Amino acid sequence: MAEPPLPDDARRAADVIRRADIVIGIPSYNNGRTIGHVVQAAYAGLAKYYPQLTGVVINSDGGSTDNTQDAVLSSRVEDSHLLLFSTPLLAAHRLSFPYHGVPGKGSAFRLIFQMAKRLDAKACAVVDSDLRSITPEWIDLLLRPILFAGHDFVAPYYQRHKYDGTITNSIVYPLTRMLYGVGVRQPIGGEFGISARLISRYLEREDWETDVARYGIDIWMTTIAIAEGFRVCQSFLGAKLHDAKDPGSDLTAMLQQVVGSVFMLMQEYKPIWQNRTGSTPAELFGFRFDVGLDPVNVNVNRMVDAFRRGCQELGEIWAGALEEDTFAAVRRLGGCLSEGTGAFHLDDELWARVVLDFACAYQRHPMSRGMILRSLTPLYLARVASFVRETETLVASEVEAKIEQLCVTFENLKPHLIAEWNADSVRAGSPHPPLERVEPRELSRENLEV
Amino acid sequence: MIETLRKVLEGTLERLHNHVTTYLPSLLAALTLVLGAYLTAALARWLIYRIFKGLTIDRFLRQSGIAFMVDSSGRLRATRLVAETVYWCILLSGVLVGVNVFGTDLTTQIIQSLMLLVPKLVIAGLILLAGAWLGQYLGRSMLVWAVNENFPSPRRLAAVVRILIMFVAVVVAADQLNFARSVFLAAFIIFVGGAVLAASLAIGLRRGGLRRFLEEKGEQTGESGERSLWSHL
Repeated sequence: MAEPPLPDDARRAADVIRRADIVIGIPSYNNGRTIGHVVQAAYAGLAKYYPQLTGVVINSDGGSTDNTQDAVLSSRVEDSHLLLFSTPLLAAHRLSFPYHGVPGKGSAFRLIFQMAKRLDAKACAVVDSDLRSITPEWIDLLLRPILFAGHDFVAPYYQRHKYDGTITNSIVYPLTRMLYGVGVRQPIGGEFGISARLISRYLEREDWETDVARYGIDIWMTTIAIAEGFRVCQSFLGAKLHDAKDPGSDLTAMLQQVVGSVFMLMQEYKPIWQNRTGSTPAELFGFRFDVGLDPVNVNVNRMVDAFRRGCQELGEIWAGALEEDTFAAVRRLGGCLSEGTGAFHLDDELWARVVLDFACAYQRHPMSRGMILRSLTPLYLARVASFVRETETLVASEVEAKIEQLCVTFENLKPHLIAEWNADSVRAGSPHPPLERVEPRELSRENLEV
Repeated sequence: MIETLRKVLEGTLERLHNHVTTYLPSLLAALTLVLGAYLTAALARWLIYRIFKGLTIDRFLRQSGIAFMVDSSGRLRATRLVAETVYWCILLSGVLVGVNVFGTDLTTQIIQSLMLLVPKLVIAGLILLAGAWLGQYLGRSMLVWAVNENFPSPRRLAAVVRILIMFVAVVVAADQLNFARSVFLAAFIIFVGGAVLAASLAIGLRRGGLRRFLEEKGEQTGESGERSLWSHL
């Protein structure tokens, strides 16, 4: 599949600018309230940390009906307020275009990457448009490891509320770490730094029209970077505070797109993940500090109710997706609900088995993938409800230890996943190669700064 | 008197002899053909089982869910499907050829009708199979959607979808067979019209369950301006 042509206005702008060292991309959809601040931070980051380089800030918009584009083009920051050591050679360009194709974050990124390639940028950073806690330092932290330390992919590392980012904490982080042996704490964080080499690799791929075009983009980028051996690191950005309302948020769709992308890539990278065991954290840059976080409201009863309904209605679908003993354990858990919600707890082991069984079912039933993934929602809600209860009184470091424990559970179940995944080929008598152990690497003090 | 009786007996025996000499060879030939067809069919089935064991189409049947639909244990294998189809086709052909040996108008007519009907039957069967598969798939999708959206009576909704699609498949199959066309068409129109009317009433009634559900859902979504757990990944 050929790369789609750039929209006319983007092409014209690229012809005028001709070349840029750095591209900062901001995907948006009705983010008029917050995007001005994000653009200012990006602009200030370029002026403050890279005055000698030419930069372009590109907003790739999904057809906003509010003042998003106006906010991008009109936001200003006075250089005098930035206390710059050196005056930028050229002021950063600022562009805003609507992208074409499947509506979603992935399509927005595609346009940004196409522009970065066209402008021959050395590095590109992408940041969400609903961020309230972004500072100019984020731009530096996302770009410096690429421009000066030879990395290809910089993932964010933030402090988040213990109940924020539950898809990350309960599925994507443990699963990605277990599969590819590299611990990237926020694999779907939303802010990334990417090298020109990796951008070219992304653009030559042919799966842009899948869930990658929507919420699957973040994990897709992270997984490709890790699985294909690009140099991956993390940068500590501080707190992630974002706008209260994401207009596109719909739990089932988000879960389906993110988890579907992980499972899709599992098929492609089977020879890679099946030969790795253990894990090591990706190198971490930046200075870590504690910050105050926004509270997150959780309605546990509603989540438990969703699971109860799932148990009552979705048995036939779960029976086809889960292994017999996993399904029996889920049924028992559903049975606990009739005695009150007190005894209800979906533990790490059962949850990991559920996720891995769903991954195998995704592979086994290609014609029912969407349905299988959507039926995961009540189980996921049960897991979140259990996690919330379990960590109610815990502080951030203790919660982190719990997540670490979950990751280890996933890693312990990897041989089981490989056996299940290869069930067909094992029956056909094809052996799989011995596992290659990824040695854990301690984070040294030197790793904390570039 | 004795002479008359002798003539009658001779006449009867002659007729019996004529019948036997006329039909017995045909009957024997027909039976031989049917037996031959049976043996060929059994041999073909045995060979297919042997040759096509482990065919990739087995995986397709399993993955598509057709195996589970036809055989709830999911053990249906393409080999079995093909072998049984070939077996019955050969056997049926043998019976038809056997009947054709008699060469009467009636047998010729039966064969002609069957020959015309068989392709239609096959197509109608495929339509029903496709309808059953689609009904099951969309019914389950509806079930999952309704559960996730906290919609009332998800099982009933799924059943309605399944029945509707199966009903469409039956109407199309009946049309293919030219069987009670107008009856099925009228039933289909009444059914769809009724479903649309019921849906309209459910949505339109001021105190209807659906309306209440939508209101409740709206309230839940807009519940305070607080930060939701689901606003970000």
